[in-house]
Amino acid sequence: MANNYLTTESKKLATWYFTFAAIIFGAQLLFGLVAAIQYVMPGFLFEIIDFSIARILHINALVVWMVFAMIGSVYWLLPDETGIETVGIGLGKLLYWVFVAAIVIVILVFLLVQVGPADQTTIWFITEGREYIEAPRWADIGIVIVVLGFIYNLYATGMKGNRSGIITVLMADMLAFAGIYLAGMGYTDNISVDQYWWWWVIHLWVEATWEVFVGAIAAYGLITMIGAHRKVVEMWLWIEVAMLFGSGILGIGHHYFWIGTPEYWWEIGALFSALEPLPLVAMFVHVLYDWGKMQGEQNAQGKEISVITNKPAFTWFVLNAFGNFLGAGIWGFFHTLPQVNLYTHGTQFTSAHGHLAFFGAYATILIGMFYLAVQGKNGIKIMKSTKKSIWATSMIVGGVMGMTIALTIAGYVQVLVSRAQMGATWAGYFDGQAGMWFAQGMDWRLLMGVITFVGFLILVADLLSIGKADHHER
Amino acid sequence: MVETVIMTNDILAEDFLTIFISSTLVLIFGGFYVGIYTAVKVNLLKKWTMPIAYIFWALTGYCMYVMGSLMHINTFTAKALVVAAFGLLLLPHAVYYMQHKVHEENKH
Repeated sequence: MANNYLTTESKKLATWYFTFAAIIFGAQLLFGLVAAIQYVMPGFLFEIIDFSIARILHINALVVWMVFAMIGSVYWLLPDETGIETVGIGLGKLLYWVFVAAIVIVILVFLLVQVGPADQTTIWFITEGREYIEAPRWADIGIVIVVLGFIYNLYATGMKGNRSGIITVLMADMLAFAGIYLAGMGYTDNISVDQYWWWWVIHLWVEATWEVFVGAIAAYGLITMIGAHRKVVEMWLWIEVAMLFGSGILGIGHHYFWIGTPEYWWEIGALFSALEPLPLVAMFVHVLYDWGKMQGEQNAQGKEISVITNKPAFTWFVLNAFGNFLGAGIWGFFHTLPQVNLYTHGTQFTSAHGHLAFFGAYATILIGMFYLAVQGKNGIKIMKSTKKSIWATSMIVGGVMGMTIALTIAGYVQVLVSRAQMGATWAGYFDGQAGMWFAQGMDWRLLMGVITFVGFLILVADLLSIGKADHHER
Repeated sequence: MVETVIMTNDILAEDFLTIFISSTLVLIFGGFYVGIYTAVKVNLLKKWTMPIAYIFWALTGYCMYVMGSLMHINTFTAKALVVAAFGLLLLPHAVYYMQHKVHEENKH
């Protein structure tokens, strides 16, 4: 839709990225629901969309929508931070369409072709078979080209315009983000070696480069939404970067406990995993500290009004601080030491952690960016929540928390029955899943998944309509 | 080699719940410690509440001890947990010190 409020092409491109991200977000939830139904009714969509396919679509869509929203976020903040239009924006737009086309084709192949012969044809044209990054090799190469173009846009703009601390962090972080993806593109017939490199992508993305990205976006959000002092915010950002990379990079050891890597990874994993919650505590305090500080300064001037210029976006940013601490911190620390991970590994505990961590650490702040874009697109000075915003937030947060708790209970049953009592045997695996608590956990997970999906539909309705509401300050 | 064996004992089935709860409390109490410390420093809480922050840090350490004991961690992991506990103790001090310096620089 054309409008007069977006003054730069970069921000327009950002809204394209956000729009496609929201569509794929919906697909992620939809296929998650299909997989959740199949846990309760195994015959559901049998031989049409089997569990393996629903799961592929669920987790790959998760990664894709987040990557789209992250690239969109960078295009959104670039003009604000650098003071200039993004360099090479025409290339950025072309690559956007290339990226969208590639993703649509990959999804259609996953849905319609699903499996192929056990040879190179499948790797090149159907799937590479690595969890989270299952795109076939042609799409892998396409993604690399698109991201290289994006990196060019970011670097050229950062070098030409004002290079703030946030931009500097993003330049380094996005280069690492793109570079690490290459580690998941090679081929080896040794599963231990394959997993070793695959974790470079998955772990170093989500527990290093993505977390640093979140720190940078939170810094931008605090400056734009509550007027936090840039120097203070950027100082926090550098501390977070040091702590996140310091603990997160070698924290990869907790993925190397049981894949055939040398035993020293147990000790490296234990040490750095124990340190990993520290930056999450720091990030949690960071947001609340700056919010309290700015509101205090406002109140001291006798102005009893909120400092927040975008209520729904800020709500999601605060939820990010909580969610990151809960999902990545608490649910991660639960089972990060090798002594207990021996029992929890591969149970629904992992799934509970995955759900809350991806949601809490990433989905929240990216949804916040969607609202920032709606505010900018509609020329709103102070954007307030609507009933839809509140319902969407409550249902999505409640739904994801409910799923996490249900999966944790199911995982606990598996730890006790399948692992502790029956010693990780074949019979133990099935006995663990046959228990009443496990089955009820799966029922509750489905119910909470439905609530999350309905919340998502309300969120979309809100994003489409909130800009037109007349209770904002313009 | 015996020295490198990290799994010294099986975890008892009845200990898992205590392990999960104590590991949760490690971070919750740790969060309270950092939160109260920060709130006192930005004058949201009165100064006399600061000892409460340190009580929460001590509780964090105790929960780590309970968790580690029940997991039968080896010496190295025990040292890693002690490092993490002291890291948490120093974290708000270091961050607030830098925060204070930046604010001072901004004023002048």
